[in-house]
Amino acid sequence: MRARVAGAAVGVVFGVTLSWSGMTSPVVIRQALLFEKSYLFLFMASAMLTAFVGQRLLRAAKTRAVLTGEPIYWQTVRPARRHIVGSVLFGIGWGVADVCPGPVATQLGQGIAWSLFTLAGITIGVTLFRRREERVEAAPAEASRAGQVAPAAG
Amino acid sequence: MGLCVVAIRWLLNQRLGVTGGYTSLLDSVRARSLALDWRALFFLGIVVGGLVFALIAGGPDFHGYGWLTQNFTGSARWVVAPILLGCGVLIGFGAKTAQGCTSGNGLGGCSIASPASLVATGTFFVTAIAVSFLIKAVI
Repeated sequence: MRARVAGAAVGVVFGVTLSWSGMTSPVVIRQALLFEKSYLFLFMASAMLTAFVGQRLLRAAKTRAVLTGEPIYWQTVRPARRHIVGSVLFGIGWGVADVCPGPVATQLGQGIAWSLFTLAGITIGVTLFRRREERVEAAPAEASRAGQVAPAAG
Repeated sequence: MGLCVVAIRWLLNQRLGVTGGYTSLLDSVRARSLALDWRALFFLGIVVGGLVFALIAGGPDFHGYGWLTQNFTGSARWVVAPILLGCGVLIGFGAKTAQGCTSGNGLGGCSIASPASLVATGTFFVTAIAVSFLIKAVI
């Protein structure tokens, strides 16, 4: 229960911040991707740095997660083909629509009707993936091929 | 935003991610279940956050829809809807395949220096930049 309240509360803060920073606007995103304004890059970099330092401090202090009691730890993932292929598809959608999942959610909250089309598309995309994943899980040979690790690139 | 990532790590020892939240919400809907987990509620919280912002600011952050509504005007305006739908499919399927979107890989994964997330983030930034310049060259 407390985990759900935490998730919802952090979500509200995330949504307000995302809207307030202008990241919800496709105009702002496009200006950044065309290198007309550096705002998005500075925004991402400062968020990454804050999160990097904050999480390292939590781990270094041997903190336990407040709601679950488990020690703070994480595992990193080796790059595979799926990360590149998926991100190319994602990048095409992002570059054309100038929006990603977080901002779509805030657009919906702000009452921007266009977001309904994007969200419908994301629903289809996620569902297609889930269906495919279920099929792969049913066929073990297929699963081992999908898990094949490709050399790091990009 | 960085502090949101730290908060999820500090409270739950989990990686923050919007696509994960939406997937969890869809799974609950598919299972006809009202038992939403923290990820699904995180996504719904973002929607509420957008609403809160619009109420405080007195309306949405922008009008129209960027280059799409500027270029597809009048009777061609309807074209924007299928374009956004198609982009949504690419965004949804692509983010799931890459195990994260701008928040999950870009913020959550990069901030723990996960090599897969660094590769994914570099890839989607380069792709989106290339696509944007391509559109600019064509229109």
